[in-house]
Amino acid sequence: MGKWINKSMAPAVSEQPDNHLAIEDIARLAEGSVDIAQRDEFLHHLNRCQRCYEILQETLKDISAAGSLPKISNPWWKTKTFYALAASIFLVIIIGGRLVFEHGNQHPRIITATLDMDQELKDILLEGDTLRWEKGPRLNRLAAALHKKGLLFKDLKAAVLAKPYYQKKSLFGPGEVLHIRIENGVAYLEVEEKK
Amino acid sequence: MEKSELLNGNIMDPAEILASRDILEKIEAVCRRHFSGDNDRDECYIFILDSLKADNFKRLRAFKGKSKLSTYLYSLINSLVIDFRRKRYGRRRIPAVVSKLGEWAEAVYRLVCWQKFSFDDAYDFLRVDGLYQSNYDRFMQEIETIRNEPCRENPTFKSIDEPGSDYMQNVNDSDANPLESLIQTLDREKRIEAFRVIRATTAALPEPDRILVRLVFGSDQPLSAAAKIIDLSASAARKRLQAILVKYRESLLSAGIREP
Repeated sequence: MGKWINKSMAPAVSEQPDNHLAIEDIARLAEGSVDIAQRDEFLHHLNRCQRCYEILQETLKDISAAGSLPKISNPWWKTKTFYALAASIFLVIIIGGRLVFEHGNQHPRIITATLDMDQELKDILLEGDTLRWEKGPRLNRLAAALHKKGLLFKDLKAAVLAKPYYQKKSLFGPGEVLHIRIENGVAYLEVEEKK
Repeated sequence: MEKSELLNGNIMDPAEILASRDILEKIEAVCRRHFSGDNDRDECYIFILDSLKADNFKRLRAFKGKSKLSTYLYSLINSLVIDFRRKRYGRRRIPAVVSKLGEWAEAVYRLVCWQKFSFDDAYDFLRVDGLYQSNYDRFMQEIETIRNEPCRENPTFKSIDEPGSDYMQNVNDSDANPLESLIQTLDREKRIEAFRVIRATTAALPEPDRILVRLVFGSDQPLSAAAKIIDLSASAARKRLQAILVKYRESLLSAGIREP
């Protein structure tokens, strides 16, 4: 956590308001489902209220960690929808599987992209010394980060970094971009300074 | 148990919600994240369960279906953790001995005991806020009384002997963003000046930009999560953040602050 930055932005103790945001409003903010007028009001409050800010940022941690709703009713595998869907998928695989397989073999898909290096990508690249890494948490994090940035691919088997990456910490230095090529499930990565 | 209509006509029973293993695990995980001791964690868990059951599940029944139930529960649990912390440690009081030393000493106690900053950091923050004018060596002598005071929330409070060896330094250290990294490379006087510039620049930002910077650079939230809060796409938020960084950079440069 950026202690200096957080400290410079945290409201002073004497400024803590008495009236807090409703819990459901904080939840709506975390989901991004608040209309413009209300959002301005809520953000104004959040910038001055340590308690509400803390609830919001802890909620964000939780929803990003969980990613799915708790199941309150029947288990999902016991629903009619699940059985209908399973039957449909079975039929599609039987009928279309061969076609899909052949198509996939004839046209191996290559994805290329250039992304601005953000902290999440830097953290992943800085995580180890090896230039190639395979199945595991680091590769999963890379796949998740790339999905989040809009890259559509099915699965990653490995990642290969062109050369060791060392973070440039300068606020005043040039930015960096990450060139990515995903081919046959392998992500080839190269970092370059922005021109 | 009376049933409640909670979400878009779906009938949900608060007792059933609380009996869900997912929810119980979530409460446990949140308490674990907030507290390091087993006792605190256990009592936190029980406090939250009791609070959720209180007044015939009043807090759960307050859900109006405007957000997802799961998000509401996370927010609710986190708010109850804050209540528990307050209850557990009581209304925070600064020891009389510390208060007698003055406003600066109370600020040091708050920073080190409650907010878990190091004494080194506390000195810098005091200088930024104009609460302390003497030099660092004098400061280290004057805080002796504060060091001897108990602090339940930060058990290592009394065991910090070497100014540079504060265990919290490691916990708080971060190279997570360019602003933080810049501050850490500066010497004490420049660091204090940079802090003032950053604070002033932040105060002049529009409300959405302030929350964006704080979430991403202050709380290490993913850009996509912070973007959602101010209703921007991740790429638009990234551009906004870059523009904000340019503002910080210009302010720092005009104050004569650059990397050593």
